[in-house]
Amino acid sequence: MPVTATYLLQLTLNGLMLGLLYALIAVGLALIFGVLEIINFAHGEFLMLGAFAMAFALPPFGLAYWPALAAAVVAAALAGFILYEAFLAKLAQGEFERSILITIGISMILLYGMQYLFTATPRMVDTAFGFAGIHIGAIRITWTRIIGGGIAAAAFAVLYALLTLTQFGRAMRAVAQNREAALMVGIRPHAVARNAVVLATALCGLAGAALAPIQLVQPGMGQAVIFKAFALVIIGGLGNMAGAFVAALALGMIESWIGGFFDVIWQEAAVFTLMIIVVLIRPDGLFQRGGMRVG
Amino acid sequence: MSALLTVTNLAKAYRGVHAVEDASFCVERGSITGLIGPNGSGKSTTIDCISGFQRLDRGRVMLEGADITGLTPQKIARAGLVRTFQTVRVYDEFDLVANLMIAVEPFRSVGWHDALLRTGRYRAARKAAETHARELIELVGLTRLAAAPAAILSYGQKKLLALAAALMSRPRLVVLDEPVAGVNPTRINEVATILRKAKAAGTSFLIIEHNVEFITGLCDHVIVFDQGRKLTEGPPAEVHNDPRVLDAYLGIEEPAPHAVAEAS
Amino acid sequence: MRELPLAAALLGLALLPPAFGSNYLTGVALSGVTFTVAAAALNLVFGYAGLLSFAQLGFWGIGGYCSALTVTRLGGSFWDGLVVAVVVNALAAAAIGLPTLRTKLHAFVIVTLTFALLCGLVARDWVSLTRGPLGIPGLPTPRFFGFAFDSPGRFYYLVLAYAVLALGFLYALGSSRIGDTMRAIKQNEPLAQSQGVSPLPYKLAAFILSAVLTGLAGAIYVFYLKVVDPLFLDFYYMQTFLIVVIIGGAGSFWGVVWAGVVMVGLPELLRFSNDLRMVIYGVILVVAMLAMPRGAAGWFADRKITALRASLR
Repeated sequence: MPVTATYLLQLTLNGLMLGLLYALIAVGLALIFGVLEIINFAHGEFLMLGAFAMAFALPPFGLAYWPALAAAVVAAALAGFILYEAFLAKLAQGEFERSILITIGISMILLYGMQYLFTATPRMVDTAFGFAGIHIGAIRITWTRIIGGGIAAAAFAVLYALLTLTQFGRAMRAVAQNREAALMVGIRPHAVARNAVVLATALCGLAGAALAPIQLVQPGMGQAVIFKAFALVIIGGLGNMAGAFVAALALGMIESWIGGFFDVIWQEAAVFTLMIIVVLIRPDGLFQRGGMRVG
Repeated sequence: MSALLTVTNLAKAYRGVHAVEDASFCVERGSITGLIGPNGSGKSTTIDCISGFQRLDRGRVMLEGADITGLTPQKIARAGLVRTFQTVRVYDEFDLVANLMIAVEPFRSVGWHDALLRTGRYRAARKAAETHARELIELVGLTRLAAAPAAILSYGQKKLLALAAALMSRPRLVVLDEPVAGVNPTRINEVATILRKAKAAGTSFLIIEHNVEFITGLCDHVIVFDQGRKLTEGPPAEVHNDPRVLDAYLGIEEPAPHAVAEAS
Repeated sequence: MRELPLAAALLGLALLPPAFGSNYLTGVALSGVTFTVAAAALNLVFGYAGLLSFAQLGFWGIGGYCSALTVTRLGGSFWDGLVVAVVVNALAAAAIGLPTLRTKLHAFVIVTLTFALLCGLVARDWVSLTRGPLGIPGLPTPRFFGFAFDSPGRFYYLVLAYAVLALGFLYALGSSRIGDTMRAIKQNEPLAQSQGVSPLPYKLAAFILSAVLTGLAGAIYVFYLKVVDPLFLDFYYMQTFLIVVIIGGAGSFWGVVWAGVVMVGLPELLRFSNDLRMVIYGVILVVAMLAMPRGAAGWFADRKITALRASLR
């Protein structure tokens, strides 16, 4: 491969978009962990639900991108609402293993359920944009990719604003940092937890919906990324959303660059090995534990 | 008089808060020593550091000449210092006898292969241990419930079980973390009697408690902590009347005479 | 032991399937027995030692590939393959376990999970060793001094023999003082430490033993399938083992054994499609977690405790 500036740029842009995708998933996971102290094994399936929702919403809207996207995000958020109210709300604080097992069960229901209903055949999703794109030098990027990346970036800007400027968001950060203190100040943990789950699943659904026109949609698509997202959350510092964000972007870049220079075949294994090493050396993550309460 | 436990210049800080600043004290062999002080004075942290459940920042802990500073909790337990916990800990799924049988001490010369194959050596150790366990359960008055899972015990009963479990290891020093907090007042005297019996059998005690009456009636010696340091120590009566102690608890400059009288 | 009659009855039941003369039925029973052993091994590390280890899937796969490679690449016999599976898994478990068992719960789950995924990736991507997605087909029939396990019925008895040995060992270990200490560590590690117990050796022992037993089960099973490929490391197997442990009750030997018998036999008899069966497993898992988190055995134990409490007041 000729290592030209264009090639490096392509790798970087690729890495950025991949990183933003990972970030949408990982930040949501970190948020859920920060507020509820559980790891949501079904998180990847919300990505898949968002993608399928997009696939089904596009035809009724005449393949118009934006309305379908909105519908998909709403669907994912609704699913998150049900996830919380029907299942997660029943768990007490700190029931870590039980939460893993429940969310594994939900993941199985969603994944195999979708597979049963719609088969495992990957499907292509078409939007009004089709395959149109723009050229940057020798690189060609489709609109769907550019918009996908833009949406992700915009989502993070909105998320940041929500978390720092609104009561809705500040309450979440408060609970994540110090649950007892938040309770004493009158923050209702049930409402905050529900909001956190809905927000996280919406982000994930958004990622899925944005991905739908870019890659093939199939029931197992969530599984491919979710395990990396788990490790990202740990590395970023459990419950630390900023840490997860940085780790996700870094992973996207690293993956893109490794894939660009070495055989793709070892890329995933190398990344996972790296993750294991980091988690073992610094189990509390590379950043601090997002201000989580001690112990 | 020989010191069983010697703590020198112990210090421990959490995120900048100096829970224990510079604590030094001794526990004499064959005594029941009380450790009192207002909330936040560093008693629990000191106990955690001594027993190995927290890392200490500075200081030295000697158990009858052996340096146990910074050892793991299990090593310290095997060296002869056993502790109980403020939030009482028992094995809910095991019956009372099984709770005590987890103790390593009675089986210290029994290997894993002995346990797996149930050899004669293992069975002999087990028999002796079971006899001892039942004696201790009898001592704390829980024989009636010996075959029941510990989950059914009341809070106070669990504290008694924890005490019996601590004694199972035949420790030289037992550190009790609030042994009668939350216990039915009518049972508190029972606990004191049990402790005196154990003391007569050769075990020494260091007891953290807030119950002044309990401490005064039971202890030979009392150490008072305040703001992470030892404030004073001495016989219970002396400590009781020390104005500095009252100040530490109540935060008043000079106690009025009638306030001191009411506190006794 | 007082469960001897029950164990004898179960063994008697287990001897039956080939007698029905249906290769399909024998195959179902064979899978059931294999998965029960794997679940019982998971029970040791999760139910007794309290470690939710997803690494089991990795060891299962390593076992399968080790025995297959020993026979096809190194020209060894089936039995050589089993020995290799044991050794490799023991070493791998020790290597993974030592650093990982010191970490906190969250990190432990993630690392063991990542390890299992890594094993799957190696199976898929290290083509020169494992032939990648093509897998290693054509595994020959195991022989023992001329006796060939060439029918499902005969292979079933081979698997059953292993199951009796493995389950017997797990029972002996679980009911011994070692097993009690593991359960003590799971229930209340600081309390165990205050009684002089060092937690790490017990956790490591549980981790390594269950790795070896699971790996052996996998090593034998691939010779029934006659092929091993990356799908052998699919999360599906882990989910199955986990379901059996959860339903039976983590920490209960007999609970898990009975759950294995019921759980694998039932869906086959009901002839659901694979996807639907997994959906039902998922539903069972969720319902169990909400209503009966300690499984069938735990539910019975809780009722006993409630009754006991009532009678004492």
